[in-house]
Amino acid sequence: MFSARFVHGLLSFSRAYSVSAPKKGLKELVAEVRALADVSPTQAGQALKASDMDVAKALVWLEKHRAESAVKKAAKVEGRMANEGLIGTAVLSAGAAGSRQGAVRAAMIELNCETDFVARNDLFAKLLNDISFTAAFLSESAGSEAFMQPFSLDVLQGAPLLAQSNPTSESKLTVSEAMRDLTGRVGEKISLRRALTVVHELPPTQRDLALRVSARVHQSVQNPQQGRIGSLALLALKSPRLSEILASEAFAGDLDKLCQALGRQIIGFPTTSVKAVPGTQDEGALYDQPFAMFAGPGNDQPVRTFLRNWAKERGLLEGDERVVSGVEVLEFAKWTVGESI
Amino acid sequence: MFRTQLASTRVLSRRLCATRAAQSSYSTCARSLVRNPGRTVPSPLFRFNDGLWVARRGYADASPTKFSRAKPHLNIGTIGHVDHGKTTLTAAITKVLAERGGAKFTDYAEIDKAPEEKARGITINSSHVEYESENRHYGHIDCPGHADYIKNMITGAAQMDGAIIVVSATDGQMPQTREHLLLARQVGVKKLVVFINKIDQIQDKEMLELVDMEMRDLLATYNFDGENTPIIMGSALAALEGRSPEIGADRIAELVAACDAWLEIPPRDLEKPFLLPVEDVFSISGRGTVATGRVERGVCLKGDEVEVIGLGDSFKTTLTGIEMFHKELDRGEAGDNMGVLLRGVKREQVRRGQVIVAPGSIKAVKKFQAQIYVLTKDEGGRYTPFMDNYRPQLFLRTADVTCALHWPENTADASEKMVMPGDNVEMVCDLVHDVAAEIGTRFTLREGGKTVGTGIITKILTHA
Repeated sequence: MFSARFVHGLLSFSRAYSVSAPKKGLKELVAEVRALADVSPTQAGQALKASDMDVAKALVWLEKHRAESAVKKAAKVEGRMANEGLIGTAVLSAGAAGSRQGAVRAAMIELNCETDFVARNDLFAKLLNDISFTAAFLSESAGSEAFMQPFSLDVLQGAPLLAQSNPTSESKLTVSEAMRDLTGRVGEKISLRRALTVVHELPPTQRDLALRVSARVHQSVQNPQQGRIGSLALLALKSPRLSEILASEAFAGDLDKLCQALGRQIIGFPTTSVKAVPGTQDEGALYDQPFAMFAGPGNDQPVRTFLRNWAKERGLLEGDERVVSGVEVLEFAKWTVGESI
Repeated sequence: MFRTQLASTRVLSRRLCATRAAQSSYSTCARSLVRNPGRTVPSPLFRFNDGLWVARRGYADASPTKFSRAKPHLNIGTIGHVDHGKTTLTAAITKVLAERGGAKFTDYAEIDKAPEEKARGITINSSHVEYESENRHYGHIDCPGHADYIKNMITGAAQMDGAIIVVSATDGQMPQTREHLLLARQVGVKKLVVFINKIDQIQDKEMLELVDMEMRDLLATYNFDGENTPIIMGSALAALEGRSPEIGADRIAELVAACDAWLEIPPRDLEKPFLLPVEDVFSISGRGTVATGRVERGVCLKGDEVEVIGLGDSFKTTLTGIEMFHKELDRGEAGDNMGVLLRGVKREQVRRGQVIVAPGSIKAVKKFQAQIYVLTKDEGGRYTPFMDNYRPQLFLRTADVTCALHWPENTADASEKMVMPGDNVEMVCDLVHDVAAEIGTRFTLREGGKTVGTGIITKILTHA
């Protein structure tokens, strides 16, 4: 919006001048360049002087030197602390939905900057969104015990950045180049602190089992996938009648609601683990906490009891207690911006 | 029991709602103590540092540097990109004014290392410097981030009345300058002054004009007066290093003069319309109904027309008498603890929580939007999050009413959103009974005997 206004102001400005002075002054040209490219006046002036005061040429010159100036800026801010920022999540495939068991594919990223002013800016949000998407897209099934795997930061930084809005477009930049580019624009250190992905596909033979991944953030600015606290939770559903139950629309709604409430519970309470070590008391164990973050009846029960009842009411859990079935939280991760790791 | 509880809430709400003048004197005194501990503070008293501010104020008064109220006070904040020289500017201002006798020079290191203030149990992350121009006294606030400024606004710890936006001439406005201006809007700053720094690094005069033009345009986009806002260009570093005064010290002096001329002083309590929150009501046989309380603002005279407002009942009456210390007075003013005799009013008609005001100066409200800070567990607040339709007690002046908190209309996912201790949120408060309030009125939220949040009204939605 601003740039539109700006261009408008600029036009009227240059119109007023065009009568008396056919050749535009440096000021107008710099303003023109700045309306088209996100550079400082000094840089714009430099570019114009290097390209015979021609705006089109100056833009090309800037494009060529953008990386160079960003590198300079990045070197300047290298030693600083970046402890603000946001946690971004991307769920490409949430798993169990409709009649499909589906595969799960999701990622959670922490991107840091120096002040929360920058963290609130759209440029930062967009970069984080794209990096989260890239991580989720590139990750491969780990095939190990744990479903949630840290994603190598080196690999991620060297990977080409995929735009979430248009994943097929060939990006010229790698993730680290895009981060440096942002440093060049906002003048703050931008760094990746950690990345985590969940990728899993169930073999088609396991028809009684489904996975579901759910992301939840707290204190988001504009993008509801990003916030100062983020969590990813992985649920498993098991029942002999699973495909039939999953097909129901009412169940899909209920499952969404449950996932949201579990996300809130994990973020809002000092949750550290899913279950306490048998025989011990642990406030941080999700299953032993009262499920206060579920908006509805039953939220005075511990999560463990609540989940059992929830599964029973929806026919996931049937009479035969020897068969393990129902709904279970397998794993979760919870991150807060700037916490030490 | 009930009485002691009320008394304690009153102290608390007064602490949170303390008038600006009291706050500023408090903060400056407190800061000067922190700055010169050896000189002014007898060491055994140090333990008061995180205790009651009353105690601190008490002994600060005895210190040799007494805060003078001769000049009107204004809180001013610097906002800008990390590299654009906010701290240098702050140091430069104190240096230039110190040479003219209006400040104590505060160097970078001192500004940056200013310890976190711990006041009222709410941690305030900001540095506080003071200085005086010819006709004003300024408190200078510099916070590291957006969230800190918001929290300070809500708690009233460091309310900004005006702001200096610092922009470097080499970079011009940056993407986050947008966020800086939005913040200024959000914390209620109506006017600001722009300082374009580092002009010694720019040879081309046209470039400076361009930065100026762009800033004016951006200011206008965010509803500030882009045309008339003073934009001062200079070099804070030159001023600090005492070289080239034409772009250094002189420009700093110009900046301070611009602040003096452009930024408006909030009206003082005495100049505002009369308001007396009712604390207690008595009926004195042979005389009538007397309401007591501490005058929050304005002046009242015997025989004045007044309006009693709030708690479902609003009516007009006349002040037939003013009494303080068992003596009759003709005039009462802000700060006085007094009783007023109301003509033709029955005791049952007036209750604690209502206000007695100059007619038409304030209205009762039933529903408003507010910016709320939810206290963390360490600050004595809740342990767990809450969701839409949370119903705490709302304490506003002497009133105590139940309210329901909702997300503002058009909030996406309102039923799924939660509020955690430590959050700053904008929410709608729906009161069970109406209370006299206006934009900028502060309140606290309590639940089960503990303060869970504090807030400031940003928008009135329904009048009673």
